[in-house]
Amino acid sequence: MTAPVLSVENVSVEIGGRALVEHVSFSLGPGEFAALIGPNGAGKTTLLKAILGQLPFRGSIRVNGRMGYVPQRLNFDRTLPMTVLEFLALTLQRRPVAFGIATRVRKSVSAMLERVGAGALLHKSLGGLSGGELQRVLLAAALGEGAQLLLLDEPAAGVDIEGEAAFNDLILHEVRAHGAAAILVSHDLSVVADISDRVLCLNRVLMCEGKAGDLLTAETIARVFGSGKAVYDHHRPVPHTHAHGPDHHHGH
Amino acid sequence: MIEIIARYFTVDWQAVILAAVLCLSLAAGSLSTLVVSNRMSFFSDAIAHSTLSGVALGLLIGVDPIATMIAAGVVVALLIAAMRQRSGLSLDTLLGVALAGSLAVGVILYHRAQGYSDLHAYLFGRVTFLDTTDLAALAAAAGLSLVLVGLYSNPFALLAVSRPLAQARGIRPARYDFILIVLLGLVVSVCVRAVGLLLVNALMVVPAAASKNVARSYRGMFWGALCVSVTSCVAGLVLGDYFSVPPAPGIVVVAVLFFVASLLFRRGTALALDA
Repeated sequence: MTAPVLSVENVSVEIGGRALVEHVSFSLGPGEFAALIGPNGAGKTTLLKAILGQLPFRGSIRVNGRMGYVPQRLNFDRTLPMTVLEFLALTLQRRPVAFGIATRVRKSVSAMLERVGAGALLHKSLGGLSGGELQRVLLAAALGEGAQLLLLDEPAAGVDIEGEAAFNDLILHEVRAHGAAAILVSHDLSVVADISDRVLCLNRVLMCEGKAGDLLTAETIARVFGSGKAVYDHHRPVPHTHAHGPDHHHGH
Repeated sequence: MIEIIARYFTVDWQAVILAAVLCLSLAAGSLSTLVVSNRMSFFSDAIAHSTLSGVALGLLIGVDPIATMIAAGVVVALLIAAMRQRSGLSLDTLLGVALAGSLAVGVILYHRAQGYSDLHAYLFGRVTFLDTTDLAALAAAAGLSLVLVGLYSNPFALLAVSRPLAQARGIRPARYDFILIVLLGLVVSVCVRAVGLLLVNALMVVPAAASKNVARSYRGMFWGALCVSVTSCVAGLVLGDYFSVPPAPGIVVVAVLFFVASLLFRRGTALALDA
């Protein structure tokens, strides 16, 4: 049997005396694409941060291989002068980017950007990118470094509504082509239904786990998100394309 | 003016001063980009203020004040880092306490040891008294800074953009915080001897702040900061000599003029792009 890329065993995260995630266990095999769904405040980002080693936790998390991470939104000093080429080269060469970028790395970065349809951004300033452009660059960075596990925290959150479906398609296509295991955090059930092999429903505790088609029943959705939610096809013109949790706010 | 410049190449003790100032400018200029982009400017200021305690302690207990000064800079830096990790307090609060506290303790110890004589030199620098011992210390500081920039500037740049992203790529922020803190503790303490504890932070911050205003890349920011640092230090030394003003404030004034010019240039470029 192949060893899992990610193994999460009985993980709990507590911040300021408040339990945000409790007794969560699951594992992810190579190439497996899982969606982590749940309403706002359910602990999705918290669980991801624990996996990334950014939050203290109880239990055990084992990652077999390198991780790539696309955050929901990257908050950084936009006045810091740094080109997209320099940003992507930072982890690809030992030589300081301030001392120049090797031709091999330059070619590799170009190819990484082309894959996500962002070839024109090579010499642009990182601080001057739009939300959608930045998410593409972050996706290129996550994919381009031989990661075996991709952690995608609502990666389409910074993309405008029109571009969101296309961006999710791009993620699906590229992650599949890359062959890495991935966890996609989403509150958008239609995305989950379309692209994932497995669904993990989190609302502080892991409420359900299984194949997307089997799990996304009206009953399960009501249990995780509260009643009155449903799954809609992104490409069909329906009044409410997104299924949201009870306390969801747009643009969070 | 030419005569004054020529003396720095012909008179031995002045050549030592020029070499020491060049080393100082390389140390501060190469670290400046890391300090500004990783938001460590108040940190280096707190370290600078703590060095007075070290000097005074050295004088009180009869140990070489240079050694105790460097030790105090590093110890205070590590204390701040440890308290930041364990107390959960914000960095600016900790630095505010450390800066005022270490300066007050330093002044009290200094009063006990010296009765305030020569305090002026520690506050505002003593560039014109730099000797071969200072030159050796500053050369070591410059070498150390350049080596560490060569080894770690990429992880530091990634940490400057985003700590979570850096962490996801296997970079441990605590480890790099430690490296930068110890390095700053060492370099700032050595540089305090030359430009004084009230002015040294300007050398750590202003070159990269000026360069950041006009650079379009990280590479441009790094080399721009180094150029501003070297030019300010040499020009401040020579102009200070020419106008008979103390060199340390002269160096800082030249660096600040670079910053003002960079701001005007940025404003001009923005207006031209808007038009």
